Amino acid sequence: MQTTIEQRATSVPYLLTAGLSGTLFGAGLYISQMVDPLKVLRFLDFGAIPVGGWDPSLAFVIVAAIGIMLLINLWTKSWAAPLFDTEFHLPKFKQLDAPLILGAVLFGIGWGMSGICPGPAITLVAFMPENLMIFLGMMFVGSYAGTYVQHWLSTKELAHGHEGS
Amino acid sequence: MENFSPLTALIGGAMIGLASALLWIGNGRIAGISGIFGQLLPPARTIVWRLVFLGSMIGAGFLAAILIPGLGVGGPEGEQAQLIGSPLWIATAGLLVGLGTKIGNGCTSGHGVCGLARFSYRSFISVIIFFATAIIMVSTTGIV
Repeated sequence: MQTTIEQRATSVPYLLTAGLSGTLFGAGLYISQMVDPLKVLRFLDFGAIPVGGWDPSLAFVIVAAIGIMLLINLWTKSWAAPLFDTEFHLPKFKQLDAPLILGAVLFGIGWGMSGICPGPAITLVAFMPENLMIFLGMMFVGSYAGTYVQHWLSTKELAHGHEGS
Repeated sequence: MENFSPLTALIGGAMIGLASALLWIGNGRIAGISGIFGQLLPPARTIVWRLVFLGSMIGAGFLAAILIPGLGVGGPEGEQAQLIGSPLWIATAGLLVGLGTKIGNGCTSGHGVCGLARFSYRSFISVIIFFATAIIMVSTTGIV
């Protein structure tokens, strides 16, 4: 029987998986204290390494998370589909392009200014620090504005690509 | 190194890894928070699971801070989390995080965890650039 993505993505097991995954993610961000912008900034503060003020904790977060996903990727490599959908959703982009690089630079500036990346930005709602809604609201605006910038960049890139070929 | 907390960092990181594993095995989705957040409005076709995921993140943060108090910020017994800088500074940072992760197709979770773990070349480049940029920002602004 054919189902649509809307049907599959609203099935009970699908939504339970999303809920359980979000639960683990949010709890993990609190336990690792990635929800503390100051701790993240102290991790990014490589200038403090020579004077002994650097906090390397968050490297352990990344290593543990990547380690588990490495094993999972090896395990599921030969799977045709996940349990509750008919396909794995991988990004369709494969090439290095200007949007990837420009986006990473802009994100890096924002992350370095605030110590907040999108996961902690969401989870911090649980603790409601002052001015969080300003950050979240602007993150939302930036994300939607990005759709148009992305579109504009990709049409430019296509035109450029035709010239080159 | 007074704030160094390798054990809770490993446990929290493992939970984030398990969360990503579950979403991949069950639903075939990459647990990239900017992607989940950035497609909450139409024309996105699947919105409900995104709301469930994001709501669960907030609820779990709230509960974990009550059940396991005193790890740092958060919860009735923890310190109050604080955003650094003026409202204008915070607004600019939020805008850049939203814009950059959309244009660059991912953040710390999508590129940093899921992308690196499947040896994505794009993610590898992205992670190097956003980490380097953030480190340079912290050094130049001197905010900590």
